[in-house]
Amino acid sequence: MTIKRMTFLQNLLKFMGLEDRLHLDWISSAEAQRFVQVVTDFTEKIKELGPNPLSDERKQPKSAHGG
Amino acid sequence: MNGNNLRALTEDDMQEQVKEWLEQGKVDFFLGYKMIEGHPLPHFFTKNDLDEVDDLIPGSARYPLEKIATKIAAQQPDAKIGLLVRDCNQRALNVLYVWNQLNPERVKTISVNCCPSKLKEHADCSYLEPEKSGSYKKQVGVDNNMDLEEVEAYDQQERFTRWMYEFEKCIKCYGCRNICPVCFCKECSLEHGDLIGTGDLPPEIPIFHLVRAVHMAGRCIDCGLCEDACPVDIPLRLLYRKVNEIVVDVFDYQTGTSASQSPFNILGEQVTLEPKPISEAA
Repeated sequence: MTIKRMTFLQNLLKFMGLEDRLHLDWISSAEAQRFVQVVTDFTEKIKELGPNPLSDERKQPKSAHGG
Repeated sequence: MNGNNLRALTEDDMQEQVKEWLEQGKVDFFLGYKMIEGHPLPHFFTKNDLDEVDDLIPGSARYPLEKIATKIAAQQPDAKIGLLVRDCNQRALNVLYVWNQLNPERVKTISVNCCPSKLKEHADCSYLEPEKSGSYKKQVGVDNNMDLEEVEAYDQQERFTRWMYEFEKCIKCYGCRNICPVCFCKECSLEHGDLIGTGDLPPEIPIFHLVRAVHMAGRCIDCGLCEDACPVDIPLRLLYRKVNEIVVDVFDYQTGTSASQSPFNILGEQVTLEPKPISEAA
């Protein structure tokens, strides 16, 4: 079920132009090397994609009444 | 009318049927439309005022009558409900049955014309001709009349900026949620202080719209009322169509026509835990 829900979300994000920034993997606590590999690979992928377009120029303006 | 037996249900037939149901107690009330000061508005017809049923019309406006029915059923679970349905209302009813919000045994419907087809001489629906988008919106935003393929044809960057242009217009009126026939949660994530919160404007985008889109999975029946209600014309119907497409692809679930439980319902069909005894003191 998790993989289906994640696939759903990945597809939805892709549809609105935010793709490849969500990753799901199964790693056992006994698979330290695999964990390192997955995290390293994903980090590299994210670096290549550049900063999240939602993070900088589109910073959420705070409401006038202080929210 | 033209001799074949596909004759559309006339207003008189409909009124007669409703009167009969009310008189015989087959339904406790009937939800339909009544012309009030030039507007076809949802109206609650009861046995106490049978003459009023003569004012019952199919109406060309669309309201989620099934949503009103759900609210009543939440307070009076035994009420026998009659209502007027078009195809979209019927799909919404199916979803509400699946999600245990309405009991199909307590609901009686009268179907009226919906979208035009060769079998129907006329249609009673306000959504026959979708609104045309202006040229600026077509240039920088997402045209509400687009197909999913057309949106997907834009490259990633363009898809992002176009959707953000649409989401940025949101004034957080909650109209999309309030009109939605299948939005029945008692607590809404869109108003949850820790998730999205209420007061702040503009709303957090795109999270506000994406949260709603995710919650439409396994529920949205593509009636388009959200888009109709949206004061800034965000192509919500298109967004939720994508949601439905993914639900079919990934979960193999046809929302609105499947009689089986939605894959997104976290509750099972049966209670497997013994409920804790209610203490007398409380």
